[in-house]
Amino acid sequence: MNLSRISAVILRHYFLGIHQMERFFDMFISPILMIVLWGFLTKYVQGLEASTLAAFLLGGIILWAIFEKVGTDIGVNFMFDIWDRNLIPLLATPITFLEYLTGLISISLIKILFSFVAMWIMASIFYGFQITSLGFGLALFGLNLFIFASAFGIFNISLVLRFGHQMGPLTWILPFFVQPFAAVFYPVSVLPPFFQKVSYFIPISHVFEGMREVLRSGQFSAELFWTAFILNIVYLAASISFFAYILRNILKSGRLVKVI
Amino acid sequence: MSKPILEVKNLRKNFDSFVAIDNISFSLEEGEILGFLGPNGAGKSTTIYCILGLIDPEVGEINIFGKSIKKDRSEIFKKVNYASAEFNLPWNLSLWESLLVYSRLYELSDAKIRISELLEIFEMTHLKNTPIRDLSLGLRARGNLCKALLNRPKLLLLDEPMASMDPDVVDKGINLLRQIQKEDKISILYTSHNMWEIEEVASNVIFINHGQIVASGTPLELTQKVLKLESGEPNLRDVFIHLSRAKNESK
Ligand SMILES: Nc1ncnc2c1ncn2[C@@H]1O[C@H](COP(=O)(O)OP(=O)(O)O)[C@@H](O)[C@H]1O
Ligand SMILES: [Mg+2]
Repeated sequence: MNLSRISAVILRHYFLGIHQMERFFDMFISPILMIVLWGFLTKYVQGLEASTLAAFLLGGIILWAIFEKVGTDIGVNFMFDIWDRNLIPLLATPITFLEYLTGLISISLIKILFSFVAMWIMASIFYGFQITSLGFGLALFGLNLFIFASAFGIFNISLVLRFGHQMGPLTWILPFFVQPFAAVFYPVSVLPPFFQKVSYFIPISHVFEGMREVLRSGQFSAELFWTAFILNIVYLAASISFFAYILRNILKSGRLVKVI
Repeated sequence: MSKPILEVKNLRKNFDSFVAIDNISFSLEEGEILGFLGPNGAGKSTTIYCILGLIDPEVGEINIFGKSIKKDRSEIFKKVNYASAEFNLPWNLSLWESLLVYSRLYELSDAKIRISELLEIFEMTHLKNTPIRDLSLGLRARGNLCKALLNRPKLLLLDEPMASMDPDVVDKGINLLRQIQKEDKISILYTSHNMWEIEEVASNVIFINHGQIVASGTPLELTQKVLKLESGEPNLRDVFIHLSRAKNESK
């Protein structure tokens, strides 16, 4: 792994961000809008119910945003090299695929840190909700969300490489298929039995269960963390293997140079 | 004789049952410009992608600087570069920013000096803050050539770098390229289906059709061999037509 080449990928998206306002706003506006929307909802339910429900909702949306933004960003940033017809000149440099993916994932990490701070400030100023009340668990929740989102992003890129850029939009739709099973706003126990089984295999469902546990009782569940983490390692390994398989395949079929 | 800069041995590539490259071998010496001439679909780009490691050939061996591209690709490609009019620098970035990104990819220690120097040579200094998307086709091609020379390559793979550009632009591009090529003794593999472009630039020419090398030599040798003439003037245009048709008729 070569840091200069990884930093080149980051620099490319930094420049893109300063020129393309939409990339920049994407980092702040959409997370802030999410908080505003869900903040009003929590204001409403606060009047009806105990304040834990409000915390569940705001905590849920902030953690969900981490997964959704990272999960889509990796694929979208990759699409820019395809749309710009820059992928082949890029791959003609000494860069390896591993470095390229690491660069793409690093950008989404940097961006989500900014988004997170924006959401944290919004939620605390306007709705009096402190996401930091999750304590050190917050970092571990973040870790699990980030790993699953990265596995997701790598999977998306593989699909685009294999099936062409018309698969691009899937990149920003796919996370929403995960959402019902991720138990973002409600406990897994409200799901029908079969869905509960599916849910178990979605690592981030354990993150949201864990978050509610902390908000309710102040206890961080190590068991939920490890379940999510182990599942994550499996998904990450699977998505990297899938990527490697697709790569071998498209190097042979000649598709790689046609994904433009 | 010293080791060739690029060595392609018995290259073969099928796309399903279609034979795109049929046992091609050639090599490129230091400072040589080899013209790779052939009609559309002859297999020129496929050969270049194999050399870049972006297509896996079924059979064949490719060595650059005496090393196999299967090993040490990253090390080898620090001194290799590529350009094609088919591709762009990042669309929304300025010329300067794009080149800065690429100089990191090539780990240049003197990026700013090198970029300024190349922009000066290619007469694009005044365009350094212009986004790539606002450059004309000809200027984008020149920008691609700047990118291709950033890392002071020893081997340059140019796949129709001036495709669909007017003769004036092509002439200018070629002259600038040759200036640097001579100074830095760069070896270039230059593909085109434009005969006079190749005549202008290449010391040796390989003519390929249907994935096979059908003739090779200097432009003058080719003319004399293929057209069975004693003429003193290279005429690749007639060679091209002769070879393209001969092969098609025999099929
Ligand atoms: N990825 C691919 N899949 C299938 N066929 C391909 C692929 N790439 C090239 N070909 C075919 O191989 C032949 C050679 O293509 P190419 O190398 O691009 O030709 P050239 O660059 O000489 O115009 C063409 O007939 C083309 O259609
Ligand atoms: Mg071609």
